[in-house]
Amino acid sequence: MASVSSTAPVAGSKASARAHSGVAPLRAGQGHSFFWRRLHSLSGIFPIGAFLVEHFFSNAFATNGAAAYNENVRFLTGLPFVFFLELFFIWIPIAYHAGYGFYIWYRGETNVGDYPWTGNWLYTTQRWTGAIAFFYMGWHVWSMRFNGVHLLTNSAAAFWKVQNEFHHPWAVAFYFVGIIAASWHFGYGLWLFAAKWGFFTGESARRKFGVVCLLVAVVFITVGTATMVAFLTSPQVAPPAEISTGAQIP
Amino acid sequence: MANNNTVLIKIKRQNGPDSKSYWEEFEIPYRPGMNVISALMDIALNPTTRQGKATTPITYESNCLEEVCGSCAMRINGRVRMACSALIDNLEKPVRLEPLSKFPVVRDLTVDRSVLFENLKRVKAWVPIDGSYDLGSGPRLLPEDQEAAYPLSRCISCCCCMEACPQFNESTGFVGAATISQVRLFNTHPTGKALKRERLSALMGDGGIHECGYAQNCVEVCPKDIPLTRSISEVGREVMKQAIGDLFRK
Repeated sequence: MASVSSTAPVAGSKASARAHSGVAPLRAGQGHSFFWRRLHSLSGIFPIGAFLVEHFFSNAFATNGAAAYNENVRFLTGLPFVFFLELFFIWIPIAYHAGYGFYIWYRGETNVGDYPWTGNWLYTTQRWTGAIAFFYMGWHVWSMRFNGVHLLTNSAAAFWKVQNEFHHPWAVAFYFVGIIAASWHFGYGLWLFAAKWGFFTGESARRKFGVVCLLVAVVFITVGTATMVAFLTSPQVAPPAEISTGAQIP
Repeated sequence: MANNNTVLIKIKRQNGPDSKSYWEEFEIPYRPGMNVISALMDIALNPTTRQGKATTPITYESNCLEEVCGSCAMRINGRVRMACSALIDNLEKPVRLEPLSKFPVVRDLTVDRSVLFENLKRVKAWVPIDGSYDLGSGPRLLPEDQEAAYPLSRCISCCCCMEACPQFNESTGFVGAATISQVRLFNTHPTGKALKRERLSALMGDGGIHECGYAQNCVEVCPKDIPLTRSISEVGREVMKQAIGDLFRK
């Protein structure tokens, strides 16, 4: 290999040009990033984490059969102020958490190649699971809420609608991936919240709470999978009369 | 390839802050027990590349050669560490030496790490004892507190924790683990805690403690085994207590 002259262009010169100005020192007393970053952290626990618990639990009614499931959907869609409950406890928090989350990811420089350690892998995984869960939710909301039969006014069609969607193997696979991503993101997010806000500070305490968070993720994945199995193994439910006469169901 | 009696070293060089980087290869005689700094000294004795071209000696920082001064941090085979304690016998060959990637290069392996000094100033990382008269002896420290403080006081300002951190970059301007750990050290000091509020407020500014993504590379690379993640959690707790307390008090 010939030696490279000092004037030859070198791959990676962009990196050295970028490093030239260096990282800025702490801007003590400036900006509001502390508020927004901590709000991002908190919003993942409440209300988004709380909603995730409710969502997995409510859907698990499928394990009690189509009637129990549809009755639960009727109850939820009939809640008072349901529009505002959804707006302030689901739509806005998730939109903020996702938007700021992508902003955090964009500004970080993942380096698991050079530093392939557990904490660093979890850092990277938290970003990927967040993105997978986000795109899954985008499709999930579109297909369940804005496409086909409208469940807010036809709660009796809920079980049938999910079952109908599960006729597509790719949809089943995407549900499973989405459940794993959301469960893991929540479990590790819970741990990150506790570590960053200082609820668990010592090495041993943090490690033990890590086991708890892993169990949380496993429980979520198990409940989600059991719910999917219930939809897949239940006898096919006929669409409600008002739907079956109505045409174009995907 | 180098035979058993020589060591092959590839060094990423740069003539000045605005120059482009380039690689040079050196083949130096093997000696038992040699480390990266002694290898750089050997190159300085005879600054000739492996291809026989005369070149300049490598510029680098080092002083104590026993991992207590913090000057010789560099990327060795892609990973940041102290060059003096990096034994050639334990390194994969050829040995790749690069300057820290997140600090402005001064020349070759020497970088400008003044951002850490700036950060320490901005969090007032000192014990305020200035006065025009004899203040007498300071308050006594309990042995338990001494034992917690001593590991933190071993920080050698090498910047390894910052280099390995995915969040320490120009987009975030993150302060880095070393400074946060020093805040913990001086906030636990009976006289130093006079400035506790100011230090915690400083860490709430842009680039403050909230930019930590808890990848935990810092604690892995720290040559002094400082419990950096514990410091981040402990200071994170104090910061949150102050931030939430101020909502009610201020």
